[in-house]
Amino acid sequence: MSPLLEAVDLHRHYSVRTGGGLFAGKAVLRAVDGVSFRIRAGQTLGLVGESGCGKSTTGKLALGLIPPSSGEMRYDGERMPAAGSPAWRALRRRLQMVYQDPLGALDRRLPIGTQIAEPLVIHGIGAVSERRDRALSIMESVGLQRHQFGRYPHELSGGQRQRVVLARALITEPRLLVCDEPISALDVSIQAQVVNLLLDLQERLGIAYLFISHDLRIVRQVSHDVAVMYLGRIVERGDAENVFARPAHPYTRALVSAIPTVGDKRERILLGGDPPSPANVPPGCSFHTRCPFATAQCRSEIPTLQPQDDGREVACHRVRETALRLVA
Amino acid sequence: MLLFAASRLFRALLTILFVMTFAFFVLRASGDPALLILSVDAPPEALAAFRKAWGLDQPIWQQYLAYIGHALTGDFGKSMRDGRPAIDLVMERVPATLAITLPALALKLGIGIPAGIYAALHRNTFADRMTMALSVAGFTMPSFVLALLLVLIFSVTLGWLPASGNDSPVNAILPIITLGTAGAAIMARFTRSAMQEVLGQPFVRAASAKGLSWRRVISHHALPNAAIPTVTIIGFMVGSLVAGAVVVESVFAWPGIGRLLVSAVANRDLAVVQALLMVIAFWMVMANLAVDLAYGWLDPRVRSARAGGH
Amino acid sequence: MALNDTTLSAPTPALGLRKAWRRLRSVPPLVTLCIAWLVLMIVTALAANLLAPYSITAFDLKARLAPTLLLGGKLAHPLGTDELGRDVLSRLIVSIRMSLLIAFFGTLISTALGTTLGFLAAHFRGKVEQLVLIAIDFQASMPFMIIALSVLAFFGNSLLLFVALMGFNSWERYARITRGLTLAANEQGYASAVRQLGAGPARIYGLHILPNIASTLIVSMTLTFPEIILLESGLSFLGLGVQPPLTSLGNMVGYGREYITRAPWIMLAPAAVIVMTTFSISLLGDWLRDRLDPTLR
Ligand SMILES: Nc1ncnc2c1ncn2[C@@H]1O[C@H](COP(=O)(O)OP(=O)(O)OP(=O)(O)O)[C@@H](O)[C@H]1O
Ligand SMILES: [Mg+2]
Repeated sequence: MSPLLEAVDLHRHYSVRTGGGLFAGKAVLRAVDGVSFRIRAGQTLGLVGESGCGKSTTGKLALGLIPPSSGEMRYDGERMPAAGSPAWRALRRRLQMVYQDPLGALDRRLPIGTQIAEPLVIHGIGAVSERRDRALSIMESVGLQRHQFGRYPHELSGGQRQRVVLARALITEPRLLVCDEPISALDVSIQAQVVNLLLDLQERLGIAYLFISHDLRIVRQVSHDVAVMYLGRIVERGDAENVFARPAHPYTRALVSAIPTVGDKRERILLGGDPPSPANVPPGCSFHTRCPFATAQCRSEIPTLQPQDDGREVACHRVRETALRLVA
Repeated sequence: MLLFAASRLFRALLTILFVMTFAFFVLRASGDPALLILSVDAPPEALAAFRKAWGLDQPIWQQYLAYIGHALTGDFGKSMRDGRPAIDLVMERVPATLAITLPALALKLGIGIPAGIYAALHRNTFADRMTMALSVAGFTMPSFVLALLLVLIFSVTLGWLPASGNDSPVNAILPIITLGTAGAAIMARFTRSAMQEVLGQPFVRAASAKGLSWRRVISHHALPNAAIPTVTIIGFMVGSLVAGAVVVESVFAWPGIGRLLVSAVANRDLAVVQALLMVIAFWMVMANLAVDLAYGWLDPRVRSARAGGH
Repeated sequence: MALNDTTLSAPTPALGLRKAWRRLRSVPPLVTLCIAWLVLMIVTALAANLLAPYSITAFDLKARLAPTLLLGGKLAHPLGTDELGRDVLSRLIVSIRMSLLIAFFGTLISTALGTTLGFLAAHFRGKVEQLVLIAIDFQASMPFMIIALSVLAFFGNSLLLFVALMGFNSWERYARITRGLTLAANEQGYASAVRQLGAGPARIYGLHILPNIASTLIVSMTLTFPEIILLESGLSFLGLGVQPPLTSLGNMVGYGREYITRAPWIMLAPAAVIVMTTFSISLLGDWLRDRLDPTLR
């Protein structure tokens, strides 16, 4: 069965200025640097990594909002049409996005009901009289009340706004939803509500998610598969349970060991310092500057994703040695 | 800083080129330049000679290059009224314009800046309100109305000052006051808002919280920072001195380049209009350049940020 | 108490309007006066034909240079007459209509042009944006008076051309505002969200961005309108704007200037109208700006 969404060796480079004044030069910023993944219908791929590693850029590439510098996005086996083209616009029915900042994603001048129904208007779905009813029923299914139809975004709470954004994304019955940090702006109790809502919707409607977050606990809770990004590349990818229970890449291990509540007295790998700038990626394995296991090979040779025995893929020269040490 | 200056200079040159191009195409678009510049009843030989001299029989891009070449050497053709080179006519009027605009500029800054600072430091007092009301009045009053009112009061009614002409320095007084008043109003308003903005900034409040005397806070922290936006408006004023003088010179029959422009436009003396356009553009662009450089000098942050900009 | 409750919990219709209205309700007296004056001017402009007691070209040679009522004139010509015995009040009323019409259409053209260019720049980016930016730079670096004068010199004058020319007065202000706000909206936020829903440019710009930036644009219009009145009257004063037999406020002042010693009222009446009108709009604009748009200075 072909995947719903497939990324093949995606790159997205920006040219940026370095420094200022007399010595201003240009550099290539590799926001996304060779990323491949697949998402099957009804499944969730979690994408984790530190700030600035290219998660949002990957999310935008996945939706075809920005074109890749090289590589290809495929939806249902077909190449993603250019952003803004009629074909691309028609595809928006099926591919939707949920934003980190719901207030910013809503037009403050329009009542939420109008905004929730807007995709129906844009895509000419249903009769004019039906649209209101459809908006009301989708509002109920995301847990908003009917009387809130005429409210304005600023009159709702953060959680309610996120539900509005969700309702707007869901009203066209999409097959894939990219959720870019959908809950990080919400407080903890509401986070749980929204997460449960997403899980519930997936069960009922069979929606696939690309779930971007740096909160590993929540990614673990919602994802079937997970991909760990570091400086624009995927360094580990596999079954979510597996990856979180037995992280193989030193970077993943560092991330997992930093989860406070999963403190079952394992080794803790502390990451020193900040990640290098994606405009100045270290040669070899880009993680070697912060990796406790780095060798000469790591400093010169770029590791590729290699399948492991349990089905996951890891990009690390020293995965076997370090795994042994873990067991020992 | 060097790079910054170079990029500003480049932009200044670009703007001048843009003005030349604008003049060239507007002139071509408006009809046969030979007819326009020499007037319709010129003898055919003169028209032919003109077309040949200006290369009007050549392809348009060559004409454009020739035009730029002529313009760069200050050759805009001859005035159709008295046959003298247009650029000479313009240049000999420049001193008269400077004679009223420079004192007016001094008046604007000398009254406007202190009034603005005073108003900002005494917010919502009667003096502040008065200053602001006067300043709104000052720049909503067209200069010709102000000029005529001054004439009505000081020349017609009181008979103290001459209403027009240029035979003695006394003649310059009314034009200078007219030009200076409106400018001072704008200056006061602008200074006040720049000052107020700075006074609201955290660093000024922090400085006064640290126990620095208010006087010191104002002179060492508030004023230098308020100077940055104020420089912009000064530059703009210097640049638009000539434009402002157009109406005033006409009212007072003052023989500067503003009056020349009006009569050249009325007579459609295109060679003179073009020469004036270039001189004014050059003046304007130089003023802007000076502001940009002053900006970079006053605020190092701007320097690097703007060098990186477009 | 019960009353309070209902007002609090009732769903608020039209956030923009209701909120704006609440902020605008307490109008200071001076602003009220300004509004009253502007209403008077608008009514005068609309009903000029009904209000003007005489035709603007009707001579009354027996009453040449008749003074105003204030200076002991006759009721027949409350604002006096000019050298040809034409009624100043009638000419004033027709001039008000002319000047306001020019300023009105000039402002509309300016806003439409600038907003469109701003949208184009923000939509296409790249070359188009650079071109718009260069044009903005050019427009901002030359006093518009000079540009207007040279265009008039090159093309001659007609009312249509003149109005169109006034429409170029401050388009760059709108282009700048529109481009900036649109870029911000496209970068993150509601505009990119709507685009992501599959909306076409017409919907994004017309239905979402334009209403969101409208209040800023309207505030800018209160700057442009008096600017155009001043520019128009300045040029007409110099004899380079509205041409006789048509008349505008600037024309009247320019004509009255000849009689400043013998009949100052010819010039004073239109001059006062110009000053009061631009003053009122500026004050109203200032007040609107403070109330609605604290980000704009
Ligand atoms: N339009 C752009 N131009 C230049 N650089 C960009 C652009 N967009 C993103 N980048 C850079 O690409 C890198 C990846 O950005 P991205 O937004 O994808 O990170 P992220 O993983 O989503 O981070 P966060 O967790 O903070 O949201 C960053 O270094 C960012 O500065
Ligand atoms: Mg992000």
